[in-house]
Amino acid sequence: MNYGLEFELLYPKEDAGGAAEVRRLLRASNLDVEPDIQFFVVARKERRIVACAGLAGDVVKCVAIAAECRGTSLSLKLMNEVQQVASIERGHNHLFLYTKPENAVLFEGCGFHQVVSVLGSACLMENTPVGIRDYCDMLAAFRQPGERIGGIVVNANPFTLGHRHLVQQALGACDWLHVFVVSEDASAISYADRLDLVRAGLAGLDRVTVHAGSRYLVSKATFPSYFLKDAKVVEACSTALDLLIFRRYISPALGITHRFVGNEPFCAVTRKYNRDMHEWLEHASEEGPALRVVEIPRLEVGGIPVSASRVRQLLGEGDFEMMAHLVPATTLALMRAKYAGRARARTFRRETRIIEVK
Amino acid sequence: MGRLRRSMLFIPGSNAAMLSTAFVYRPDSILFDLEDAVALREKDSARLLVYHALRLPAYQSIEKVVRINPLDTPFGNKDLEAAVRGGADIIRLPKTDCAADVQRLEVEVERIEQACGREAGSTRLMAAIESASGVVNALAIATSSPRMDSIALAGFDYVVDMQTQRGDGIELFYARCSVLHAARFAKIDAFDVVFPDVNDDEGFLKEVALIKRLGFNGKSLINPRQIELLHNAFAPTEEEVRRAERIVEAAEKAEREGLGVVSLNGRMVDAPVVLNAQRILELAKPAYARS
Amino acid sequence: MEITKEAICGTLESNDLLVKVAPRNELEVVISSEVMRQFGVRIREVVEETLLQMGVTRGQVVIEDKGALDCAIRARVQAAVLRGCECDELNWGVL
Repeated sequence: MNYGLEFELLYPKEDAGGAAEVRRLLRASNLDVEPDIQFFVVARKERRIVACAGLAGDVVKCVAIAAECRGTSLSLKLMNEVQQVASIERGHNHLFLYTKPENAVLFEGCGFHQVVSVLGSACLMENTPVGIRDYCDMLAAFRQPGERIGGIVVNANPFTLGHRHLVQQALGACDWLHVFVVSEDASAISYADRLDLVRAGLAGLDRVTVHAGSRYLVSKATFPSYFLKDAKVVEACSTALDLLIFRRYISPALGITHRFVGNEPFCAVTRKYNRDMHEWLEHASEEGPALRVVEIPRLEVGGIPVSASRVRQLLGEGDFEMMAHLVPATTLALMRAKYAGRARARTFRRETRIIEVK
Repeated sequence: MGRLRRSMLFIPGSNAAMLSTAFVYRPDSILFDLEDAVALREKDSARLLVYHALRLPAYQSIEKVVRINPLDTPFGNKDLEAAVRGGADIIRLPKTDCAADVQRLEVEVERIEQACGREAGSTRLMAAIESASGVVNALAIATSSPRMDSIALAGFDYVVDMQTQRGDGIELFYARCSVLHAARFAKIDAFDVVFPDVNDDEGFLKEVALIKRLGFNGKSLINPRQIELLHNAFAPTEEEVRRAERIVEAAEKAEREGLGVVSLNGRMVDAPVVLNAQRILELAKPAYARS
Repeated sequence: MEITKEAICGTLESNDLLVKVAPRNELEVVISSEVMRQFGVRIREVVEETLLQMGVTRGQVVIEDKGALDCAIRARVQAAVLRGCECDELNWGVL
């Protein structure tokens, strides 16, 4: 018996009436429709929406239940439906979910397990008890001996001489260096190409492991605001989850003692991320051994710091002659062959954002 | 006198909780549904749930029916494998339009019985009639196979086919009578439609009174709560029971004394009257056992 | 049988269980249950026996149990494995 409950999918962009109803339901729980949600799973009782859960790729968010239906097993039925729909119709078996720490218990009853939690602000959960553990087991196979083990996370959109400079500087300060490439395919340059360019750009350097990225590292699951193009406000908690995962799981798996980062003159989001690194990685807490965060000054060419955003700007302008000074030959060749003229629109939007937040 | 078949409770085949506990409601028969109650994406999983539920010890003393998907769907034959191998007493075939539908099913059932070592002929069949064609062919369907056990009328699709809708029952009158006559002619049982509104007890009881009067054995149910209502409505009155007891006693006395004729209060009692009295006592049993 | 893709089966409702399978080089069964203390050992037994019957020797099987009976555990594990093996034809002999 389903007691007159019906589940259906609601696409907010195609169903204005339904979207307004969902918005009202979310408002009652102090939530709003987030722009990256592709669809909602909604529960209707006598045609009225009494519960909703949004899906943005593999991330569940904007979960709300009408006040009069709380305390029933509706949340369980809703989250069950979300997992079925995501798996069977979208192929997402591994889901992430954000919630307030005080609601974590509710979702634990629905098959979700806590990954990390920031007291008083946010909690990241996944619908498997062994997701992060499996990832750490996989990483542990790449462990290297040494007292000082470094870690760098790069988006490399695309890989520049600046990235190579950062890696070389870091190598001078540690025994082995693990480089992670952000795997979220939300950048101008595809992930496959970015990873190839990092590998090619670092070829010939000893004591470096280049890792494919994962959902646990600067992804839409761990750090959604990084990818929201119109994010004007970067919430404090949004970097914390990502950094705490690095500290509690990734660093211990590989024995990382130092996190290296290029200082950030342009992008406010990245600059904030760098600042937060000191806070969440270095300071004492129960989240695992502390790391040292080392900021390395950017490589400058002609008095201007080298940055991937500058390279994308040149790509938009078609100025490969100037680009040749900022990137290795492998990056230049690919930009010319594959991306010439293609990055214009995206580059423009990205630049707009940088100006806004300055 | 076969066993009582007043209530046939539908259990969605995809609902693990209900499959594991439905025997506590003590319906006369239990129907594990693989058809309309199961979403497309759950067909495979429900089939296995039902297969294992059929084998539960708790269900061994209860009559088990499995409603399979029609054989012309990708699910029908697989459902049948699960049901026959799992030990279903009866296969309910939905959307039976003609005798050939039953005969196609019969061939498959026979094949599976042989393959899994189940006694040949032990799987009985129930045809669900859900269309004008089924109603018109009811007699041919009822007599289509020695495995035929019962006919069930299904109202939802039937009224659509008839271009009408559910109302006070007049819309089902011809179908009920037609199906019932076919069943009685073939000496098999007849089940009435599901009553759609689980909250309308008054309407339910009115419909039960009607189908009891017409002569149906029982009714398909979707809510366990309706079982007791139905059983009580089917229970004979105290006066009917007392009268039946007197008739049966007289019949037993006549048999003991080797008399060929049963008489009560100086009047002769015909054999069909004795049979009817036995049926009434059978119907009365569970009601008394409960109180 | 070889689990070749991730698959999910079942629900988190009371008396049911959710089963997730994924390809792995070794066999691993992970169980969480509301009745772990009383029935954890039994649940594992049923799951492992079911996998053995189906000839599954590799893969990850994650179970979230909500107090399901053995018959539901068998059915959900079997259905999840069949989905994960992209197998549509049942070999009733091994069930």
